[in-house]
Amino acid sequence: MTNLKISAKMHIMIIVSSVIIALGIAVGCICHFVAGGYFNYSGEYKSYQSVTVSYVILDFNGSKDLRELCDGEFDEAGVKYYNCSEVESTTAGGEITFKFAKNADTEKIQSAVTAINEKLNQMSTLSSAAYHNVKTNLGGENVIIYGSVALAASIVFQFIYFAIRYRLTRALAALLADVHNLAIFISLLALCRIPLSSTVIVFAAITVLTTMIGCCFLFDRARKNAKDEQFAKLGNFEQVDTCVKESFVSICIASVCIAAAAAVLFVLLSISALSVVQIAIPVLLGLVSAISCVYGTAFFTPAVYSRFKRIGEKFKSERKQTKKA
Amino acid sequence: MGKIKSAIITAILLAAIVVLGFFVTVSYTVPKSNGVDRYNSFISSIHLGADLTGEATAVIYPEGVISVTDYKEGLPAKPEEGEDKYADKLEKYNKYINKYTQCGSVYVEKDLLEDEEKDLAESVKKDAAVLSSRFDKKGYSSYSVSVQDDYTIRIAVPTNFSYSAYKNLNASARSTETNKISRTIQYLTTTGELSVSSEKHNIPTKDNAADYFKSFTKYSAAKNYAVKINLTKEGKAGIYKLTSDMVADSETALNFYVGDTQILSLNNISEAIKSSFYIQVNNEALAEDYAIILNSAAKGETLSLNYGTSDDLTINYASAALGDNAAIYLFVSLLVLAVGAIVYSIVRYRKLGLVNAIMILIYSLAMMTAILLIEIQLTVTGAFMIILGLALLCGSNFVAFEAIRGETKRGKTMHAAIKSGYRSRLTAILDLHVIMIIVSLMTTLICMFTCAGEIFACAFIFFIASFSSYILYWFTRFMWYVLSSPAKDKFAFCGFKREVPLDD
Repeated sequence: MTNLKISAKMHIMIIVSSVIIALGIAVGCICHFVAGGYFNYSGEYKSYQSVTVSYVILDFNGSKDLRELCDGEFDEAGVKYYNCSEVESTTAGGEITFKFAKNADTEKIQSAVTAINEKLNQMSTLSSAAYHNVKTNLGGENVIIYGSVALAASIVFQFIYFAIRYRLTRALAALLADVHNLAIFISLLALCRIPLSSTVIVFAAITVLTTMIGCCFLFDRARKNAKDEQFAKLGNFEQVDTCVKESFVSICIASVCIAAAAAVLFVLLSISALSVVQIAIPVLLGLVSAISCVYGTAFFTPAVYSRFKRIGEKFKSERKQTKKA
Repeated sequence: MGKIKSAIITAILLAAIVVLGFFVTVSYTVPKSNGVDRYNSFISSIHLGADLTGEATAVIYPEGVISVTDYKEGLPAKPEEGEDKYADKLEKYNKYINKYTQCGSVYVEKDLLEDEEKDLAESVKKDAAVLSSRFDKKGYSSYSVSVQDDYTIRIAVPTNFSYSAYKNLNASARSTETNKISRTIQYLTTTGELSVSSEKHNIPTKDNAADYFKSFTKYSAAKNYAVKINLTKEGKAGIYKLTSDMVADSETALNFYVGDTQILSLNNISEAIKSSFYIQVNNEALAEDYAIILNSAAKGETLSLNYGTSDDLTINYASAALGDNAAIYLFVSLLVLAVGAIVYSIVRYRKLGLVNAIMILIYSLAMMTAILLIEIQLTVTGAFMIILGLALLCGSNFVAFEAIRGETKRGKTMHAAIKSGYRSRLTAILDLHVIMIIVSLMTTLICMFTCAGEIFACAFIFFIASFSSYILYWFTRFMWYVLSSPAKDKFAFCGFKREVPLDD
């Protein structure tokens, strides 16, 4: 009836998930002691070094030439910035700010600043570059704390709703799917060292929402099929596999859309930013979210649900027998 | 339904889409205005996050700390020997040189650094923490308060510009936002303790402000904005006594100060105040700023240094990290995805795909209009939420279409297949949307009351998206009925094949 034999492969799924989560925890813990954080906190949360180059319109008509000059010096010094922003005034001049990671070589950055200043001094005395050391405390804790509260509340609500509308076994499987996918998402973040900002909470929410969409389609199929006599004759594993096969496209559609959006945004916004670094965070988060959801909802959850189902049915039949006796 | 009715309904709907689509997407110079007046489309008027329009940054200097530029500007010219008043000028020059010492990219007064009672760098660090907690309550989608070069504080907040304001195509919208930002930075960096007084009277709030004031909250109703002052029991007695004395002395204005800065004033007091009260202000942002600074001061979170931001605060508006035209590219990306969904549905479902295409268009226009009207700040993550909503709509429709395809394969007529197909998916789609709507609403409310800006915006966008998706799901069925009415072969209209059972 079906080619998919997902239910029989629960052990493989559990091993794969455990390995990903364990690797995430291991890398996170190592980085916590070695690289200054369980996650790779982005500029929004962590300290950084910056170079601000102020210029006047008499020296540079626009920032393009100056930026090229700075880029050349940074390349020569062997340092790379992760963010560049400009302030431009049509009448006076402007300012370019280059941000460097906290652990970038300060001496190299300062030598690049000295070299930039030397070149600027040859042209004029009005334009100059300055090195800054910026220490940011972990700001926006509220966003992470209350975002997590909202996520937890959402997961609990879905469990209660499923327990009422579907069965307890399905509600438990949906709860497990949410927690599992979220754990995979967080572990992949720690593993891939994707820079973490408040954006990550939104993508965690997207992961949970996408999982919920997938679970709704999967368990509705299970509920519908349960009314079919022929379907009832199948074994537990075959029943679950049939449901997965029938609802596979529906389960994946939201994740595929998120992945497609990530790909399109990556291409177009990279052209806009003239750099792939700037758009990398939301795109990688989108892809990680989509991967976690497809794997968790279409492969891991049905495999575990088939066991829940078996235990539930065994419990039911035992209770029936006890009642009869 | 007859052909004429079908044509009229379709024409009205398409005309509405075209008109709304025009206003949503097209910006133009108003004719006969000599190029002065410009109509900005809905899309170009949506407030955008820091990733798309950059951020506003300000570096604030405590008293006694100046930038290199200020140091150079204030440095007297070095006198040359034999010059008129050489000795005086040299003394002045040396005094200036000896006054400051260079610390990185700033100059600090030596006295401040030598002060053993107060560690300047430590004070700046503590003040940054206080400012961070104040800015946190603004509910920005992203912000940062950092210590720069040990002795200055760098504040970065999103500009909240729309695309037209960012590109300076709408000067008034830009100046409204820049005024808001500079006012917010000025108010939230106010130094000092809370005091409440009239000309002749005051209540002793210096040491125990928290005993008098429970909280200060922003209040808004029907475009009227106020700060609500919630008093404690002790505060009620204190304010009652104060206002009674004021009325007896014919005083009418009660002022709220933080340090030396007057923040609020309650005017025209004609009788003693017994309970919590409101003070009206001009706009929402102002009410929010006042409430935050008064709350912070009432809790005793005062800055230990004076930053003098009211005199000459320079705010830089940096370009967007994703490029100057990031907003355009983002909308093009959304358009590409919408077109992709339209093409897929037309290829798979023929003319029925057109019905889905109409729904995608309505969804896109409705989302843009709602985001503009509710003034939600759109970021790249918000765009992902719009796409998730689109996936929800298309997923629901495709699930229903597939169920109907299955019914037609069993030999049912089109009418019967649609009926049973939609019925079989009724609970699944309802459950799905109920969960999505409640979850997004719950997240929106939690984040609204806790100032978690970006998540609030995204959850609200998804709430609107889920709601639209469910309405459009049923509207799809209606439009399917309307558009397929004139079609002779209703199976060909949908790209379905009917497998006629042998007994037919």
